[in-house]
Amino acid sequence: MDERELIHRVRAGDGVAARALYDAHVDRVYRLAYRLAGDDALAQDFTQETFIRAFSKLDSFRGDSALSTWLHTITTTVVLNGLRKVKRFHTREADLDEAGAVGVTPRESEPDLKTRFARAIDALPEGYRTVFLMHDVEGYTHEEIGAALGVETGTSKAQLSRARAKLRVALADFAGEWAT
Amino acid sequence: MIDQHEDPRFEQWLKDAAQSYHAPRPTPRDELWARIAERRRRSVPVLALRPWARWALAAAAMLVLGIGIGRWSAGGGDGASPNGTAVANDTTNRDLLYHVAATQYLSRTEAFLTGFRADLRDGQVSPRFTGQARDLLSTTRLMLDSPAADDARLRLLLQDLELVLVQISQLQSNGVSDADLITQRMDRSNVLPKLRSAIPAGPVPVRFEGAL
Repeated sequence: MDERELIHRVRAGDGVAARALYDAHVDRVYRLAYRLAGDDALAQDFTQETFIRAFSKLDSFRGDSALSTWLHTITTTVVLNGLRKVKRFHTREADLDEAGAVGVTPRESEPDLKTRFARAIDALPEGYRTVFLMHDVEGYTHEEIGAALGVETGTSKAQLSRARAKLRVALADFAGEWAT
Repeated sequence: MIDQHEDPRFEQWLKDAAQSYHAPRPTPRDELWARIAERRRRSVPVLALRPWARWALAAAAMLVLGIGIGRWSAGGGDGASPNGTAVANDTTNRDLLYHVAATQYLSRTEAFLTGFRADLRDGQVSPRFTGQARDLLSTTRLMLDSPAADDARLRLLLQDLELVLVQISQLQSNGVSDADLITQRMDRSNVLPKLRSAIPAGPVPVRFEGAL
């Protein structure tokens, strides 16, 4: 069954077709949600929300782009908006924590490469981080990223280049790892 | 655009190293599908709510809400007919509907969270809470997408509740320690006091199960 036929059947209320559509795309949606969120519960929640929205808006899908492109647009919107909410919530919690922990200075051992690497990615601006994870980690093309994020392909390329440059600076201590 | 920092060796190393960043586990396909299918099933009555049902809901709500929200339906206090036929216009009717729905939702959520905390004090987390949290989560998201969320304070409260409900809905049956963390966060962010202060004084409107 090709994609158009599948979409037609889902629109007509065919539950089997809905499951087939879900099965065809859920892995990429979940993987991207997990890469961006770093938390299984959030990734599941974002994946669920993506498909709920996709099914409810399927009538508005005109087929100008591939269904996967349309789904990735929904995924990035859901995940990035969701992460902003979580960040706001955590920031408020952190403020409360700080208020109750004046004078306490946490000690920290020297972080290893994996930890430094994760922190460096976390510290990237949202746009850079999203493009980096989509392109270099999940293998999306710049065309797919541009369509999903609503930016030009050139913007995606530029953001990836800047993300890599920032990471290179942040990880300069480990230059021996890639220079050999 | 060629960047001066481009280096194929670094890029390859970066790609390899990045694979361990937030490495996903295998997709829980069936579990996720069950949740999606359940939510789709529950959302159908919402999508099917017909205009006559809205009018009936608004009219019935006017009878039970009383003076506390009378101004919503009377458009400035010129008196609403108790039979509901004096509703001024569509906008007022819609506002009333969402106000009723918000009041109902907040009352249910307050009762749920209070029950959740009480249950936890007894050292247990009943599995029924996760199911109820999912139900309320669906309603929370509908509320966030509705004109009720135009009110900035209510929107912030709804967003806080959304996060709390997500966490409760993800609890495992033996997750008492996780549940403790949730209630600690609730305490620190004053979710329950804010919730209670957002519920209008007076009688709680009659329940319209499945209305939202």
